[in-house]
Amino acid sequence: MGMEVRLQQDETWEVLLARANDGDGAAFARFLHAVTPTLRAVIRRRGDGLPPDEHEDILQEVLLAIHLKRQTWRRDAPVRPWLYAVARYKVVDAFRRRGASVTLPIEDFAEVLPEENAAAPLSGRDAEVMLKMIDARSARLIRAVALDGKTAEEAGETVGMTAGAARVALHRAMRRLSDLAERMMK
Amino acid sequence: MTNRQSTRDLIRDLAAAPAPVPFNPVATAGGMLTLLVIGLVPFLAVSGLRPDLAAAWEQLPVQAKTVLPVLLSISAIWLALRSSRPEARLALWPLAVPAAPAIALVLWRLAGAEGSLLSETMGQTALVCLGSITLLSALPLAAGVCLLRRAAPTRPVLTGTLLGIAAAAGVTAGYALHCTEDSPLFFVTWYGLAIGIVGMTGAWLGHQFLRW
Repeated sequence: MGMEVRLQQDETWEVLLARANDGDGAAFARFLHAVTPTLRAVIRRRGDGLPPDEHEDILQEVLLAIHLKRQTWRRDAPVRPWLYAVARYKVVDAFRRRGASVTLPIEDFAEVLPEENAAAPLSGRDAEVMLKMIDARSARLIRAVALDGKTAEEAGETVGMTAGAARVALHRAMRRLSDLAERMMK
Repeated sequence: MTNRQSTRDLIRDLAAAPAPVPFNPVATAGGMLTLLVIGLVPFLAVSGLRPDLAAAWEQLPVQAKTVLPVLLSISAIWLALRSSRPEARLALWPLAVPAAPAIALVLWRLAGAEGSLLSETMGQTALVCLGSITLLSALPLAAGVCLLRRAAPTRPVLTGTLLGIAAAAGVTAGYALHCTEDSPLFFVTWYGLAIGIVGMTGAWLGHQFLRW
């Protein structure tokens, strides 16, 4: 992989993550690039039943979780057991959610939203109700991507976010939506 | 839709984001203990310690009904805080350390009891006991769950249960100084039930709020 940043000899994962947690963003980027091939392999091995673009989605969920929980790594411990535990939890969670009757809603929304009274489990009205339950900006992002078929970049522009920020916001919004959908299905 | 380029973008954005607030186990245990004391002190001030506390303390069951909950609370909070790390491997046997003597006390009482076991078990204050312990546990449990949201428990239901047990057992240790029912049949049953109710509340809270 030409794009993966090669590690210098003294830059173990421990060193990188410790520096990252001290606020060194560049070190955190190198850490994430360094662990990505391993995570990709783990997800590929477990995810035979899912299309490859979902694999990349799950990878991004894992990366986001690594960021959100990175302070729970204790720097006197090796990184790997911590990293694999985080990845395992998120991967299992991601596959369970996709395997359940509610899959990640974006594609579903695109089919379901335009028609009224669809017999699908997630009817258009439910989707509208759910979109009202999340904050306005996230709802606009989801609408732009799911209804208007825009890319995250274009959707981000409409609400004044960078592409990356829009993607993170989309991730969180979709996570919340699928939680809501699960609750509404009960 | 989601490709490797967008993963690289995500990494760039995550690297630019500020590091999240660290989880602090000592502050979590301290915060729960503080709220527990803040609840117990007015309760004991209003309803009073048992009048014969000093004399009654000579008896083993009276000591047990405070000391065993303290042990249970300590082992549960210790396990809960350990379970907050994703790579933690938990063995739950520390919970048996206070539970085993409690069961032994019940058996010892059953062996030597005369009169109606049922009325001895039901006692006079079962509902007060249940109500007080569960209510006084609410605040420390809620605080514990809030603070644990910064952690990364991979078994959130178990972590929530342990937090509930820790909070309720801590409250029970204080409540026992007020309670004058000294039969192990009474206190193991009702204290145990109260701790179980709060533990189940913790399990539910864990499922709701500790997943990530």
